Amino acid sequence: MIELNIKKLKRELPLNLMILPGFIFIILFSYVPMAGIIIAFQRFIPAKRLFGDQQWVGLKNFKYVMSLPNFDNILWNTFYIASLKVILGLVVPIVIALLLNEMKHVLLKRSIQTAIYLPHFLSWVVLGGIFIDILSPTNGLVNTLLNKLGLNSIFFLGDNKWFPYTMILTDTWKDFGYGTIIYLAALTGINPNLYEAAQMDGANRWKQTIHISLPGIQMVIVLLMVLSLGNLLNAGFDQIFNMYSPMVYESGDILDTFVYRIGLLDAQFGVATAVGLFKSVIALILVSTSYYFAYKFADYRIF
Amino acid sequence: MKNNQPSSKAILLLISLMLTTGFISACSSNSPEKQTNAPTQSPANNSSTGNDEPKEAVSGDADPFGKYETPLAIRFTRDVDNDTQDNIIPKTPGETIEDNRWLKAFTEKLGINVTYDWTVSTGDAYTQKMNVTLTSGDLPDMLRVTPAQMKQLAEADLIEDLTPYWEQYASDDLKELYAEQGPAVLNSAEVNGKIMGIGKADVYGDGVYLWIRKDWLDKLNLPEPTSLQDVLKISEAFTTQDPDGNKVNDTYGLALTKDLYGGAMGLEGFFAGYHAYPNMWIDDGSGNLVWGSTLPEVKESLKALSEMYKAGQLDKEFGVKDGGKVAESVAAGKIGIDFGAQWNPMYPLISNYQNDPNANWVGYSLVSVDGKPALSPQRFQADSYWVVRKGFSNPEALIKMFNLHVELNWGKTGDFDYYYMPAANDSVGVWKYSPVQPASAFKNIRAFQEIEEARKNNSFDSLTGEALAIYRNIKAFEEGDASQWGWPKIYGAEGVYRHGVNYMDNERFMYEKFAGPPTETMAERKSTLEALEKETFVKIIMGAAPLDDFDKFVDNWYKVGGTDITKEVNEWYATTK
Repeated sequence: MIELNIKKLKRELPLNLMILPGFIFIILFSYVPMAGIIIAFQRFIPAKRLFGDQQWVGLKNFKYVMSLPNFDNILWNTFYIASLKVILGLVVPIVIALLLNEMKHVLLKRSIQTAIYLPHFLSWVVLGGIFIDILSPTNGLVNTLLNKLGLNSIFFLGDNKWFPYTMILTDTWKDFGYGTIIYLAALTGINPNLYEAAQMDGANRWKQTIHISLPGIQMVIVLLMVLSLGNLLNAGFDQIFNMYSPMVYESGDILDTFVYRIGLLDAQFGVATAVGLFKSVIALILVSTSYYFAYKFADYRIF
Repeated sequence: MKNNQPSSKAILLLISLMLTTGFISACSSNSPEKQTNAPTQSPANNSSTGNDEPKEAVSGDADPFGKYETPLAIRFTRDVDNDTQDNIIPKTPGETIEDNRWLKAFTEKLGINVTYDWTVSTGDAYTQKMNVTLTSGDLPDMLRVTPAQMKQLAEADLIEDLTPYWEQYASDDLKELYAEQGPAVLNSAEVNGKIMGIGKADVYGDGVYLWIRKDWLDKLNLPEPTSLQDVLKISEAFTTQDPDGNKVNDTYGLALTKDLYGGAMGLEGFFAGYHAYPNMWIDDGSGNLVWGSTLPEVKESLKALSEMYKAGQLDKEFGVKDGGKVAESVAAGKIGIDFGAQWNPMYPLISNYQNDPNANWVGYSLVSVDGKPALSPQRFQADSYWVVRKGFSNPEALIKMFNLHVELNWGKTGDFDYYYMPAANDSVGVWKYSPVQPASAFKNIRAFQEIEEARKNNSFDSLTGEALAIYRNIKAFEEGDASQWGWPKIYGAEGVYRHGVNYMDNERFMYEKFAGPPTETMAERKSTLEALEKETFVKIIMGAAPLDDFDKFVDNWYKVGGTDITKEVNEWYATTK
């Protein structure tokens, strides 16, 4: 028995070695920094060093953040924008993947696939500038089009009614190509025999999609859903920071932009860490519960 | 799909990175570093008491320029800006950040050997890196830190009290330089009555001006502005009378950004026309400080701005545009009025000239609604102070370096043409090679006065130093070098400093009165209050909120923390009187 294990270990040694750098990386950059969580409970002064003579303040940082005017509003904005992003971020790629999967023209399919994947690589700093121009109410592309159709101009980035949806749609546009590729990969993994058999039984395209394609990628959908639930408080700092303005603080200010302003600009590290910890704890709870439900109802497990 | 990588968590990543570094170094140094650190500290200073006596300088006397017999090694840190990287280093062959004429001068004249623990690019990167350095506990001998960092370091007893060294070692020229804009410049670095750091001498800047496209004025037969009413009329004409002659209604009067305030395309100069001074602490006339944005004059200015917005004189979208975006409109010739500092011709106005050689921006002094001269609002913008690590053997060396910087550039034994902007190196600012860079707030206006004098006498041979370097640039423009367009706009016969001289001679400045490090509540609430202020003002200007929301804003401002901040600021003010 022991001999067998040694043999097995020997055989798998290269594989274990390959995972080692990733393992060290995680330890170093994900677990070690967790020691910094203590900052959330301190009045942190960098010059006194991390484990130095810092003043402990208990939950004061948390209380302080919650006591700030607008905190409820900011929390709601964050949750609202992030959850709509999560939902659209799941639905749109699945639909597009299923549609692309039905395409017979391989070259066209590949071109579309690449084209929708491209925006994923652009940074929000660049896209922010472009969107400000495209969405401009006076001479932007979108509003010129709306005017031609006899509609009034919409100030997408300056109107509190429109700002959150502009964020959600542009974010989905930027990243749906990435998700589509994952689902397309999953779709190619489905045994073609199943489709043939279904055709024999007289199932049309729609029925095939419902009964073969979707169940075939169910596991991937559940996995991505579970993981994305951890993002319910991540409304996207890069994007909103590059496109928001004082006019839309009311509907667009989110936890991360808020923390940026009070944490980094005003150097209140304790407060910034407290908000970070708050977000992480909520994300942990969400991921754990969704994982539990995925296991219970879809019999799905990652570990 | 929402990306699961932490890329969208830029802040948290930064913070965790910072913590990692701090944690690792803290871990590795838990036991050994305390021992390795001890010998570098002077024995007299191991305990935190008994530091009141200034340590003896190596040379023994208080000579502001005394040279150390045994070379003194000093560890610095520094930031390198784009100008240094792209212009200065390429134009000075053989010189680097670590080895150059300034560091040689410090070695030869003072016996000080400067080394850098690290160098990074200017701005946030420097502040971040400094935070990491502070957390690591391994401080360089001399550090440039933010006001908040200085206060923390002072309270943690990690930096030297510089008061005695300043008194004994600062040269007369240096002392004069720091007194130019009032005692607050030096006193702002006081913590508990002791000078803990030396900041910039030119911290207030030298004036806000009114920039107007003179070619548009001439085209529409409008007079130069002498009152704010004139400016309003000009703004209207620039909007409705098609000054660019393209038969399209596509021009605006006044430039403004979503940030409202700023050294270029800012509104401070406009507000000053109503004797309103938002975004700074001013004396309310009874000896108490008050936040300028909350005063009734601001409401009046906002009313005027909202009327301008309604009439189409302001960019409908300014609320989403930052300085870079508005500068694009200026470059495209859409805007005719800009409030900003003397350097505005260098940015952003020159880009307008580059696209349209007819664009002729001329600087005027600020104008007011009621004939009472508008004062130029001068915010106290101390972003950094030099401090000396507690226990460093020769704190006075910092002051000596300041002395030498002033002396070599502007002193009697100095050589401006070698140490500041040498013509031999295409007049790049080699003064930036020096780690410490004190400069007079009014040196530019004085240089203008020298050039003006030479113009009157038509004898430019007598020009020296900075005035000569500037005159060469003006001449270069006259001889066809279009890239030097900004110089005559500032220093020429029609230059903006005509009005700068007037400002300086008649004290037409409204200096911000609060100059201390951020107070307790200010540190906590500043960004919240700023957000409240900008949101309200932008909305009022755009007509998205009624003018009377200003009164609600004032109430809210006091409620959300303004009351405490005002109290703390006035306590600070009382200690300076």
